[in-house]
Amino acid sequence: MPVVPLERLPLPNLKVYSFVSVVALSACIYYAAQIIKEPNWNYPTEFDKKDSGNAAGARNTTDADGRTVGQFVSDVFTVMIREPVCVWTMINMAFCWFILLGRAVQKLVFGDLRVSEQQQLRDKFWNFVFYKFIFVFGIINVQYIDEVLLWCSWFSLLGFLHLLSQLSKDRFEYLSFSPRTPFWSHVKLMALLAAIFALSGFMFVVSIFVGFFGGLNTFFFMFYEVLLLAIRTLHVIIRYAFHLYDIRNESTTPATSEESRTLDKRGPVSYYFELGFDLTALIIDLIHHLHMLLWSNIFLSMASLVICMQLRFLFHEIQRKYKKHRNYLWVRNHLEQNYPMATKTELQENSDNCAICWENMDAARKLPCGHLFHNTCLLSWLEQDTSCPTCRMTLNIQNPSVTSLEPPELQADPQENTRRPFNHFFHFDGSRYVSWLPSFSVEVSHVQAIRQNHMAATNSQLDAMARQVQTLFPHIPLSTIIEDLRVTRSVELTVENVLDGRLVAPPMFRDLNLDEPTGRHTLSLLSTEPEPSSRNWDEFNTDSVETEDTVTLGSRFSKSSTEREKILHKRKEHMIQQARKRYIEKQKAAATAVRCELQS
Amino acid sequence: MAGSALRRLMAEYKQLTLNPPEGIIAGPINEENFFEWEALITGPEGTCFEGGVFPAKLVFPADYPLSPPKMQFTCEMFHPNIYSDGRVCISILHAPGDDPMGYESSAERWSPVQSVEKILLSVVSMLAEPNDESGANVDAAKMWREHRDEFNRIAEKIVRRTLGIPT
Repeated sequence: MPVVPLERLPLPNLKVYSFVSVVALSACIYYAAQIIKEPNWNYPTEFDKKDSGNAAGARNTTDADGRTVGQFVSDVFTVMIREPVCVWTMINMAFCWFILLGRAVQKLVFGDLRVSEQQQLRDKFWNFVFYKFIFVFGIINVQYIDEVLLWCSWFSLLGFLHLLSQLSKDRFEYLSFSPRTPFWSHVKLMALLAAIFALSGFMFVVSIFVGFFGGLNTFFFMFYEVLLLAIRTLHVIIRYAFHLYDIRNESTTPATSEESRTLDKRGPVSYYFELGFDLTALIIDLIHHLHMLLWSNIFLSMASLVICMQLRFLFHEIQRKYKKHRNYLWVRNHLEQNYPMATKTELQENSDNCAICWENMDAARKLPCGHLFHNTCLLSWLEQDTSCPTCRMTLNIQNPSVTSLEPPELQADPQENTRRPFNHFFHFDGSRYVSWLPSFSVEVSHVQAIRQNHMAATNSQLDAMARQVQTLFPHIPLSTIIEDLRVTRSVELTVENVLDGRLVAPPMFRDLNLDEPTGRHTLSLLSTEPEPSSRNWDEFNTDSVETEDTVTLGSRFSKSSTEREKILHKRKEHMIQQARKRYIEKQKAAATAVRCELQS
Repeated sequence: MAGSALRRLMAEYKQLTLNPPEGIIAGPINEENFFEWEALITGPEGTCFEGGVFPAKLVFPADYPLSPPKMQFTCEMFHPNIYSDGRVCISILHAPGDDPMGYESSAERWSPVQSVEKILLSVVSMLAEPNDESGANVDAAKMWREHRDEFNRIAEKIVRRTLGIPT
């Protein structure tokens, strides 16, 4: 059992935290100001502990009276640097500013975060902290507190930027799901991405500077991280640019022949571009980890194990990308060699659009079965399946080489990678002890696979936990369990919630289960009810159906999205009401028929 | 990726709005996320689900139409091919690669020439003629086979619930 009294220990919220930090800092400043009022404060005193090394040597002017403001400030600063308590307060304050800055950026650029984004952010954050902890204490093996502090500040800046760039990527993907994103949110997001990119340039300078003093290894450790950040950010920026270009094109020239041609040409370009970025990022990460493993003699330690697992994962990832790429190349060659482009007359005869993208075709490839598709559309389909989309004719019958060159596991690859089991190498379930402690795990798995599934708003771990709960309580829908798990972060707590009745199924499931708690809702539906014929159908009035704009509803597709939403909503309501009316009238008719029969 | 999927979804939405098939309405609930739709399906006439209007949620993948959407009824359902949480189990929604039940030929599976309209029409015919060999809901399949009148009574109740008529 978890420790009960700690269970609901609240995490201090941001307001309280920043208030406390400010108070602590002002107390320290006051303390320092008191000290420097005394003359002779700057002579070596009992304050002069190990922290003095940084600043004490720099100055020894002591003028108790007639100090300028600048001097006053620098004196206060000197005192504070020397006093360990003050140093910690200042570090705390810096962190507080950092968090506030992050909050401000979030408010300014992202607004409210969606649930999946929060989830992702939290997971990323704890994984980052875990790995950097391993790095600092397991690999670099720092001995002095100053060094720890330097690394900490470096990593907090880096982690901050990493998280922001991750968040921007998620948000960009979400925005690309909508046809009506306001112009400003694009601008804001782009500006943020550009700022992250610029800051990574600054970080690069810092790493060179530090490397100058700290040696080549330190430089490389820092450099890889910066490079990764820069590459990932650049990747998002360029993808975003492509996307914006697409949108603009679409609004000016709605699917003309010009556009589809550029699309056709850009297919391979954007493919290679994605592949290039992904591979570069993976390889840099791989080198980084190899460097860590080889440089520090940490063989036979916990840290080396973690690094090795990570290496294994990265290696598999690269291998998978490579295989997929080979498959792509092969399919493309096969396409070009075996299926000719359709001729002009064939295109004219076939007046249909491309069956895959539903857009106009003015250049198309012809399959042996006579069906025409855009080159890129066909290519992306054949990568995952080898049959004609329209008639399902298997294409490798004519070309036996397909089977020999294409191992079966490759054909199923796109499905496989989203469904690969997630093996947890290490799992820390913090919420068992205190509710706000994180549960995190070192996943030796594909982080991006989770992201592909971003609409589901769950991650593998949560999903696995939810399924665990659902096996115990099959009558509670998975979504409800996941919602609760987001709060509790532990299977045990959610199970307890269910048992104590704090977690209940949503109404549509609940009213079925009222008389049968085991969740077999068929039984409750079976329970005998009054026969429909005995019901007084006249009491239902059916006049409420509004008929004013039913005629206009069906045949219009508005240009404005809000109007479309409204029309759709109205149509739905109208349909339900019509169905209700029809149903009641039918029952009424049936009831009167029965009555007539009885009377006669 | 998402760009072409978005264009295709928009085209399908337009088509479904301008020429709606009988008894079917579908479209994005909120256009901020065009990849999540709600569909209303009227129970086919002459079957036990006649008259009901069943709401369902459709979630599209980012690489639609290369991968099929997922469909889940948001009202309570009792049907051999619908899981108790509302997920629909029909072959047209399964990607060509996977075969959870191990019986479908790939010709019945998802292909990019399928569309929302075709999915919904197949769901309508699934409501009319359950396939009791693929048991997504074993209880329902058994009842459908052995106690048809009880099955009909349950269906009747579900129909009334979807119309907001007290049972």
